[in-house]
Amino acid sequence: MDLRKGQIEPILDPNQSTYVYHLALDIGGSLAKVVYFTKDDDYFVDSEEGISNKKALEKSNGSRQYPVLNGRLNFKKFETSKINDCLEFINSMKLHFGGNQEQEIPGSQPIAVKATGGGAYKYADLFKERLGIILDKEDEMDCLVAGANFLLEVVHQEAFTYMGDQKQFVQIDQNDLYPYLLVNIGSGVGMIKVEGEGKFERVSGTSIGGGTFWGLGKLLTNCKSFDELLELSYRGNNRAVDMLVGDIYGGMDYSKIGLSSTAIASSFGKAISDNRDREDYKPEDIARSLLRMISNNIGQISYLNALRFGLKRIFFGGFFIRRHPFTMDTLSVAVNFWSKGEAKAMFLRHEGFLGAVGAFMSSDKHGLKELLANQVVQKAPSKLSFAVDKIIHGQPDGDESIECSVYAA
Amino acid sequence: MAHTGNNSMHRSSSRPQLDLSKAEIQGNVEEKYPTILLPNQSHDISHLALDLGGSLIKLVYFSRHEDQSTSDKRIRNVKNRLDGNRRSYPILGGRLHFVKFETSKINECLDFIYSKQLHCGGDEPHYSDAMTDSNAIIKATGGGAYKFADLFKERLGLSLDKEDEMSCLVAGANFLLKAIRHEAFTHMEGHKEFVQIDPNDLFPYLLVNIGSGVSMIKVDGDGKFERVSGTNVGGGTYWGLGRLLTKCESFDELLELSQKGDNSSTDMLVGDIYGGMDYSKIGLSASTIASSFGKATSEKKGLEDYRPEDISLSLLRMISYNIAQISYLNALRFGLKRIFFGGFFIRGHAYTMDAISFAIHFWSKGDAQAMFLRHEGFLGALGAFMSYEKHGLDDLMVHQLVERFPMGAPCTGGKIHGPPLRDLNEKISWMDKFLQKGTEITAPVPMAPPGTTGLGGFDVPLSKGSTLRSDASALNVGVLHLVPTLEVFPLLADLKMYEPNTIDLSDHSELEYWLKILSEHLPDLVDKAVASEGGTDDAKRRGDAFARAFSAHLARLMEEPAAYGKLDLAKLLEMREECLREFHFVDAYISIKQRENEASLAVLPDLLMELDSLDEETRLLTLIEGVLAANIFDWGSRACVDLYHKGTIIEIYRMSRNKMQRPWRVDDFDAFKERMLGTGDKKPPLHRRALLFVDNAGADIVLGMLPLARELLRRGTEVVLVANSLPALNDVTAMELPDIVAEAAKHCDILRRAAESGGLLVDAMTNNLDSSKENSSSVPLMVVENGCGSPCIDLRQVSSELAAAAKDADLIILEGMGRALHTNLNARFRCDALKLAMVKNQRLAEKLIKGNIYDCICKFEPAS
Repeated sequence: MDLRKGQIEPILDPNQSTYVYHLALDIGGSLAKVVYFTKDDDYFVDSEEGISNKKALEKSNGSRQYPVLNGRLNFKKFETSKINDCLEFINSMKLHFGGNQEQEIPGSQPIAVKATGGGAYKYADLFKERLGIILDKEDEMDCLVAGANFLLEVVHQEAFTYMGDQKQFVQIDQNDLYPYLLVNIGSGVGMIKVEGEGKFERVSGTSIGGGTFWGLGKLLTNCKSFDELLELSYRGNNRAVDMLVGDIYGGMDYSKIGLSSTAIASSFGKAISDNRDREDYKPEDIARSLLRMISNNIGQISYLNALRFGLKRIFFGGFFIRRHPFTMDTLSVAVNFWSKGEAKAMFLRHEGFLGAVGAFMSSDKHGLKELLANQVVQKAPSKLSFAVDKIIHGQPDGDESIECSVYAA
Repeated sequence: MAHTGNNSMHRSSSRPQLDLSKAEIQGNVEEKYPTILLPNQSHDISHLALDLGGSLIKLVYFSRHEDQSTSDKRIRNVKNRLDGNRRSYPILGGRLHFVKFETSKINECLDFIYSKQLHCGGDEPHYSDAMTDSNAIIKATGGGAYKFADLFKERLGLSLDKEDEMSCLVAGANFLLKAIRHEAFTHMEGHKEFVQIDPNDLFPYLLVNIGSGVSMIKVDGDGKFERVSGTNVGGGTYWGLGRLLTKCESFDELLELSQKGDNSSTDMLVGDIYGGMDYSKIGLSASTIASSFGKATSEKKGLEDYRPEDISLSLLRMISYNIAQISYLNALRFGLKRIFFGGFFIRGHAYTMDAISFAIHFWSKGDAQAMFLRHEGFLGALGAFMSYEKHGLDDLMVHQLVERFPMGAPCTGGKIHGPPLRDLNEKISWMDKFLQKGTEITAPVPMAPPGTTGLGGFDVPLSKGSTLRSDASALNVGVLHLVPTLEVFPLLADLKMYEPNTIDLSDHSELEYWLKILSEHLPDLVDKAVASEGGTDDAKRRGDAFARAFSAHLARLMEEPAAYGKLDLAKLLEMREECLREFHFVDAYISIKQRENEASLAVLPDLLMELDSLDEETRLLTLIEGVLAANIFDWGSRACVDLYHKGTIIEIYRMSRNKMQRPWRVDDFDAFKERMLGTGDKKPPLHRRALLFVDNAGADIVLGMLPLARELLRRGTEVVLVANSLPALNDVTAMELPDIVAEAAKHCDILRRAAESGGLLVDAMTNNLDSSKENSSSVPLMVVENGCGSPCIDLRQVSSELAAAAKDADLIILEGMGRALHTNLNARFRCDALKLAMVKNQRLAEKLIKGNIYDCICKFEPAS
């Protein structure tokens, strides 16, 4: 946690208008994620209390270091199909001008913003045209890993396990973090073996991911949004569509091979019935079955890969999870089942924003990361849970944030 | 694996014994293969096992065929001479049949069992009443074994004895992989390749059974296995989701749809995310699926806006890839080098197999290969069959199994079984019906090479257009004939390296050529066959049906060369003979053979006189010339059939012999002569016993091989004439040979004494085998059957009689195109071998010896 001794770096130069380190984008197949940094004074939300707490904390720490910058890392997401909303948001916040509206200089050279995800290529022209922003493409996986490493190293209680409705934060010893398997569940799923800063390899993946859930779900139900589908799955019962071990063995377990009667033998295996059509199945049940199928599968493939490379920790991130308890629970159960209890699935609080945070980090050529790393203080937990509610209700304005200070020696 | 005496002793103890008391021959005595009823045979020989799955019922049943050979005087004599102290237990030969039904039509299955009387242990309908109440117990597996137990009890009086599903799967797979030579195959980009697996190097392997769900089983040996993994995303998921998303009425319909699909409208590809570019840093091409159904999230589109074809393909790829990935990870985890995929999801569906293979290749970076099993759907049923305490298949070896494809095979493909065909009449009308359906089969049409996918291997689904049935690449499953008397020919130098066929039919131009040859020869063959039975209306009708059935086979093979497993010329030629037999043409060339035998025998004395006037060296050359010249009489060769119209047998023979100018195209005569006669004063050791593999009836045997045999006998070498067990074209059979020899012996003392000594002629005065043996002044001339009914011979599967005769042999003479060229030209033996043939096919001449039609081969290879 020590600072690099005697290292004094210029954090930002307000006069340099192209220096927009405090905005980064991750434009994925279904969602566009924005991470931006706001200084305390231009963050116009509530929480005087939060700030004063933090200041009190700083004092009590008796730190010799002093912050050069206090502010918040803000997280925001948009559906990629509504990329215009994202553009408008950036435009309205004047974020691309360094958050400083007064300093707009017409005709100045284009502003470069770090971006990752496939959309960084696809929408490059659009950003250029509409906002005059050049998207500076960062490798997607570099960003994911950098984001995860950053969060796991500097944010207390970033990782947690989730089993049977029990959420438990895991304190990870920074010196014992590596190697780990990072499973990023976006539209598809990437599985990355991480061995250290910048040291990683994509070892596997699967095309059955969040996009599959949402795509199939959309075809099978009348849901209008990913979140609506997730919510539906809460209320469903997969027994109506899945063929369970008990269905095959007349209600009995197939104990010889350790399968209980409620284990799913075949996802959607009951939907083959001749006399029932799609309308005859409840959308809730279909959503539930889909979710279990996909989570279970990801959990299994992840575990097999962790086993293969001897990785003791599996972190699941990416937008599919959305802190949806049932998703996390299924992933956890799958890992637990296949590893016979030896491995545990872990999740990240900022699971959806790994890429964006990574891109954000990569934008700092001046050691911001190291500086930020020294202390990042979470906002009050109540704030976070509030954000989760919002997500579930399908209003992805999840303006959650990490309040943080940037220090210099 | 050597077939040792110990081994057979051991086998005899575990083999079910047939109770032959009160056996009687049932039915028309004129029938070729009368059924022998064994009323006292107890039920301990199993006949039937079932795998009652969720969507299909698989049935494996065994039908015995009786050992008819014991009544044959020739064989009895030879047996006494060659293997008097070998086995004495009754031989249980039979056929293993594979049949499937849809579970929803379980009544068809019940009817089938009833009509075949399988529930009472045999195929004799009139015994049903007596036996239905005997409460037979049938082994069954699959979920339906529980569900339908009462139904079987009620309808057929059968009790289903439930066997564990996974044990059955493994037992079935182990049996097939060990017992069937080319059971396993790989399937990449539409190309099928059969893999020969060394039964001694089979374990461990991963067996992936894709049913509704997927089980992954690590198999370490017989009965040694563990379910190590599985996935709930399987065939049921494909069909379940497919049904919800499309209007398909059946699994097969859904599969068929996928053939015409394009998954890029539903799947999010890497290119979609990266604006058409690859994500090459991690080796993902633009067409790699990033997210299955990831494109179906578009707001503006509903289900009806997507083509069902695309949805089906997208589903199929999603599920196949996923299964393959999890399988590979598990194989890796346990260090298993082979992954076999089975289960109903695959159904021989080319695209499914391609998808799985591709994914295995992709994830293993080419280190691992997916393999499939030809009998994939029958693993469970076969395993249930194996679970009988006495199933009779214990120690079956690969050489004891012959797979045959009955007439219905090309029409049914991998399809569900239709109504049982009870007799020939039904068969014929079935063929008629088949023809009416418009599947007219004419001469072979040019074939296109198998579709390749191009574009980086896998981006475009394999599709041959709208004509493609979903099961177009389904592999036929033939009837497995269990012939316990078959053995490996013991004189092969290296069994593992032995490949009988010299022509590679996986070369498409070769296949096309040979299919065309067979097709062109067909009308003539039908004429001969019909004529052989007096040209009656019945014979004509059967002839027509045969032509249709065989044409259907050819057409099927043209469409799918691997439909019947690994295809080779020997198999193709045998199929034709089998097909003839199936339509009750016992011996199409019988009258031709008789006529030619008579004509040749008439001139034999003159020929022998001529030979006897020559000195030893000239005689040997003349004899070999004679064999080569006489080999021109071959009804299997179109060119020779044309020749027949130009002269009498002896004219053609003399003309042919006069043309025999050395050096021949392959000419090892000098080496052979040296081995026989030596050089200078050095006299080489005599051969003790020579095996002469003979070819055609008529001049070929009478004027060619018999004189050569006579010469060997005169020199003091025992001679065993090896001939076909069953007729094939105008080949002479082991049944016919004793009469020919007897006729020849009338004019030749050497032959007479040798034939007497060999038990072929029984001296009227001393009708006693032992005394004739002792009084014999000559080395014996014997006849053995080779165990096959094909113009070619696969020396991995010969009769036990021949194997026994081979034990003391130190010279092999293979004669004729079928046995010395099409097959075995490159075979190596542990003793001296002489291969003699005239090439009567231009293409073959060019291919094998870079020569021309009517070129001769005299290839001598000393013991290796």
